[in-house]
Amino acid sequence: MVMMIVFSVMFLISLIAVASNPSPYFAALGLMIGAGVGCGMLTQFGMTFLSMILFLIYLGGMLVVFAYSAALAAEPYPSAWGSLEVFSYVVGYLMLVVVMWMLLVNDFGAFDEIEGCVMSVRRYVGVSEMYNAGGYMLLVAGWVLLVALLVVLELTRGFGRGCLRAV
Amino acid sequence: MSPYILFVMLSSLGLGTTLTFTSSHWLLAWMGLEINTLAIIPLMTNKHHPRAVEAATKYFLTQAAAAAILLFASIYNAWYSGQWFIQDMSSPVSTLMTLAIAIKLGIAPMHFWLPEVMQGISISTGLILVTWQKLAPLALLMQISHNIKPELLIILGLMSTIIGGWGGLNQTQIRKIMAYSSIAHLGWIISILHFMPALAMINLFIYLIMTITMFMTFNLLNSPTINTLAMNWSKSPILAATSALALLSLGGLPPLTGFMPKWLIIQELTNQELAPTATLLALSALLSLFFYLRLSYSLSLTIMPNTHPQTLNWNMKTTTPLPLSLMMMMTLTMLPITPTIISLF
Repeated sequence: MVMMIVFSVMFLISLIAVASNPSPYFAALGLMIGAGVGCGMLTQFGMTFLSMILFLIYLGGMLVVFAYSAALAAEPYPSAWGSLEVFSYVVGYLMLVVVMWMLLVNDFGAFDEIEGCVMSVRRYVGVSEMYNAGGYMLLVAGWVLLVALLVVLELTRGFGRGCLRAV
Repeated sequence: MSPYILFVMLSSLGLGTTLTFTSSHWLLAWMGLEINTLAIIPLMTNKHHPRAVEAATKYFLTQAAAAAILLFASIYNAWYSGQWFIQDMSSPVSTLMTLAIAIKLGIAPMHFWLPEVMQGISISTGLILVTWQKLAPLALLMQISHNIKPELLIILGLMSTIIGGWGGLNQTQIRKIMAYSSIAHLGWIISILHFMPALAMINLFIYLIMTITMFMTFNLLNSPTINTLAMNWSKSPILAATSALALLSLGGLPPLTGFMPKWLIIQELTNQELAPTATLLALSALLSLFFYLRLSYSLSLTIMPNTHPQTLNWNMKTTTPLPLSLMMMMTLTMLPITPTIISLF
């Protein structure tokens, strides 16, 4: 129960850190922390496999690619959470959270299920159904991955368009 | 573009729309929409100049945002009602779903991306954007149409026709004019969607025919602005004559085909006790008609009906391509067979 509250609060803080529009490096840092504690929340609910997959694909795949493309757009004076334009967003979102909390939160029903949580196998059958009944969907997904590769290839084809920035 | 890549992209376009058509699961329908978005991006940046790249970027961002909203709404629906079946969408999130599909279609007030994207791409890619890319989201919208609040669709439809009419008035570029024409026609389609989806399909069918005609005409005549339209009579006199009429058909004038959907929609709306809506729709069609009239004036009404001192082009093509002839004929002469077309839908 305590871990769940800690994870949820850290998730909220990291999302505020991302949404307050800092420079991409700092937003990526917020995203990493958010994804990390999000995986922790999933583990608390018992979905350990899903949490591992989320960590690997989201952080290890998508965020790495994002980091490379953010490195191309590096700026000499990045705006982090101390600078005024970002900090005003942070304050605004925190006030929003406080107002919504006072208005809407009546009970902590979502956290009560976790104590004494037993792994209910019934709920996880859906993931394996993706390989059974949804097999053709996976085939389409594989084709789409190939199309995505060809799209990126086509978009960066040509002289001087495919390489990283020389600076 | 390499023929292999072109083949892969065009077949993925076909795959995406077919997937959305034939699916009853929201996730598969979303996949089809994403495949469409992905596959058209290299077609847009075929001629790699900054305007095209900007258009492709804007298109990708809006469509990706709309697909994300669609995915969120379908997951909420699955959580709320416990099932993923498209036609059983009865959760409060149907409004969100409609707005996501409206962003994908370019319906006002989410239409801002469409003129800029259309202006940046070539006219044949614009044809794909305005015809094929509308089919999949409209299929989804038709399937959930009975669960959406009718007020939302009426308001979106009215806004689309009015903004499509007004927005096109100040344009001189042909592609932007056709974008606003697409917005206006989509407005007519969705305004009747809740009451009689078959009429929406008829309107879509007729709109596709008319817009394919106009896009193919502009592709052949190769004139990007209204100014250059006036030179087209020497490139192809038959196209100058018939496309002037085809533009009036787009505007919905009897006795041309474009009158059929407007007539039937106004009748159905009046039957549903929505006569003021029907009046407003008809009045906003006048705005569109004005800029179609301006285009047809430039095409064919600036020449004196005498013998002209200028000769036709030395390299004039003497035959119009068959698809264009077919579509042009259908654009101009299908009004008398309205009962046949109604019975088809």
